[in-house]
Amino acid sequence: MSILLDRTNRVLVQGVTGQMGTYFVEDACKYGTTVVAGVSPGRDGAKVGDVPVFGSVRAAREATGADTAIVFVPPAAVLGGALEAIEAGCRLVVVTADELPVLDTIELKAAARANGAAVVGPNSPGIISPGKAKLGFMPSFCYMQGNVGVISRSGSLSYECCKRLTLAGMGQSTVIGIGGDPVKGTTAAEALGLFHDDPETAAVLYLGEIGGSEESFVAEYAARPDAKPVAALIVGHTAPPGRKMGHAAALIGSKAESHAAKVAMMRSAGVHVASGLSDMVETLQAALSHGMRAAQDAAA
Amino acid sequence: MMLLEHEAKQLLDSVGIQVPRGLVIRPGDGTPDGIESYPVAVKAQVRSGGRGKQGGIVRAGDRPALAAAITRLFATAFGGERPEALLIEPWLAIERETYLSVAVDGRADGYVVMYSARGGVGIEEGAPPVRYPVGAPWNFRVHGLRKALESAEPDYQWREKVIALAQRLIRTAAMRDLTTIEINPLATLTDGALVAADARVVCDEWAHFRNKAIHAQREAEKRRAEPLLRDCLNMQHMYVRLDGDIALISGGAGMTMAAMDMIADCGGRPACFLDCSPGPTSTRGYRPAFAMLDADPRVKVILVSVFGGGTQMQRVANSMKEIMAERKSRKPVVFRLDGTNVDQVPGIFARFGAHNHARLEDAVAEAVRLAGGRA
Repeated sequence: MSILLDRTNRVLVQGVTGQMGTYFVEDACKYGTTVVAGVSPGRDGAKVGDVPVFGSVRAAREATGADTAIVFVPPAAVLGGALEAIEAGCRLVVVTADELPVLDTIELKAAARANGAAVVGPNSPGIISPGKAKLGFMPSFCYMQGNVGVISRSGSLSYECCKRLTLAGMGQSTVIGIGGDPVKGTTAAEALGLFHDDPETAAVLYLGEIGGSEESFVAEYAARPDAKPVAALIVGHTAPPGRKMGHAAALIGSKAESHAAKVAMMRSAGVHVASGLSDMVETLQAALSHGMRAAQDAAA
Repeated sequence: MMLLEHEAKQLLDSVGIQVPRGLVIRPGDGTPDGIESYPVAVKAQVRSGGRGKQGGIVRAGDRPALAAAITRLFATAFGGERPEALLIEPWLAIERETYLSVAVDGRADGYVVMYSARGGVGIEEGAPPVRYPVGAPWNFRVHGLRKALESAEPDYQWREKVIALAQRLIRTAAMRDLTTIEINPLATLTDGALVAADARVVCDEWAHFRNKAIHAQREAEKRRAEPLLRDCLNMQHMYVRLDGDIALISGGAGMTMAAMDMIADCGGRPACFLDCSPGPTSTRGYRPAFAMLDADPRVKVILVSVFGGGTQMQRVANSMKEIMAERKSRKPVVFRLDGTNVDQVPGIFARFGAHNHARLEDAVAEAVRLAGGRA
């Protein structure tokens, strides 16, 4: 198992004839993702590699059984494209685009809720279930199939951390990039709920940063008596308050959003928080063995 | 992007919310004529917070005091920021101060309304405001907010005014792509009028393509920047100056912060947050970043740290080769590239004698050593 994405997803690519769309088709197919259709209004009948192009999501779904969309269109066109995919019945829509107005994300999230679809992103590297499929541009060699669920606010940081896990022999069930924006298609809380219900996931690694309130969800989850082990890395202890650190949500606006406050809150809830990138793997291992001891104690 | 107070108030005025009648003056305008009565409030127009506590709001009882306040405020920096304008308003006879804001909050998947029956400068120290989650703006309900405010605001007439105002603020935020509208204090005057005595409005810069006012704000922000930084901003790089000497050219916000933290943990001091991933990952994109850091006398070492997914490392390596060949500065550069096609990097680097560190730890240790710190 894994969350949201596995070998059964039949993927359509919106904006498939653009540079990113075309590159994605090649890269994702190489990884084993089942890409069945492309959508590019006005270009129906064309082909990108072996993938047929349709003029609408509905036409693509009817012809190919596609049930998952990834959107590669300019920011001004993302909302329109993603709503089309949601309302045509796609169960998962991935939006990697950054620079999306937050009101568009708010509308997107409301539509996903109303239609029972999941959205990953925006401002996200996408999602990968190692050994099964990937929806995004993450460097494939960094990943290995396994039982750690990873949730990340930052793309590049998730590549770095997953490479470290893979080198340490700790594979991943699914790695989800929830994105750097304040409103998220899938929040940390929702991702934690999915990982909690996934039998293949034994522990969760959360990669966060200063600003926002996402980390409070992680602490809430970790405090549950039935929680799976949770480890975390929070970056930005050198970030000054009041300044946006690249991501729209990475801004310390109040004391609760500072690095120290987040780490203290998470630790008191039972999250194993790494002191930095260099001890992230050991921290996750400690969380896992602590979880195993707790399970043995409960059994005994 | 935050608006200045007078811009925020102009916006509130345009949707029919009462604000004090003010006058904006720029440096060199002198002391304005036509002020009908004193005292007045002279308010520095800056974006950094804590202006009141730093003496950025001056009460002037007569014309000479006003002239003195204008000279002094234009000569003072608040949080490192010199005011580009002053706002002169009548000194308000305030009877009561409350707090009202609407803002985007991830926990609500959209907007929240926040209200506190006690507003003013001490808002952060007092009890937290009442929070009414709205979510999508069309989900605002008058009866929902009324219920949320029942315990916080016993004066029902005031409460109804606040609710009507909040509804208008939510609609304004949605129509104008604003992520925060904060009125603090929302004041009652002794004559019973309800006035937005101070306002903070933040607009969503990514709505620039459909909002001319936001587009203009963005362009003005770039114009205010020093020329070398402006070149970086034009490449969509994101830059925050820090007080250290090890500069970063990096990709991705999270990895940039992780590298900053590691520099500090290693005994060094990061000189900046510089995320170049949104711009073109070509020579054209990285060149202005080097130009700015090479010209910065505080920077001793440049650490290039990029872990790319969609960004292909052979392209970054080739850009580095070109930039190193044309670059005049002798400041040392330390490289750590990883990610897609990293296997092609050593071959490219060998052609110009550069070394690519496999691990970020090694690259950071080298940068800290070159900057003269420990490690």
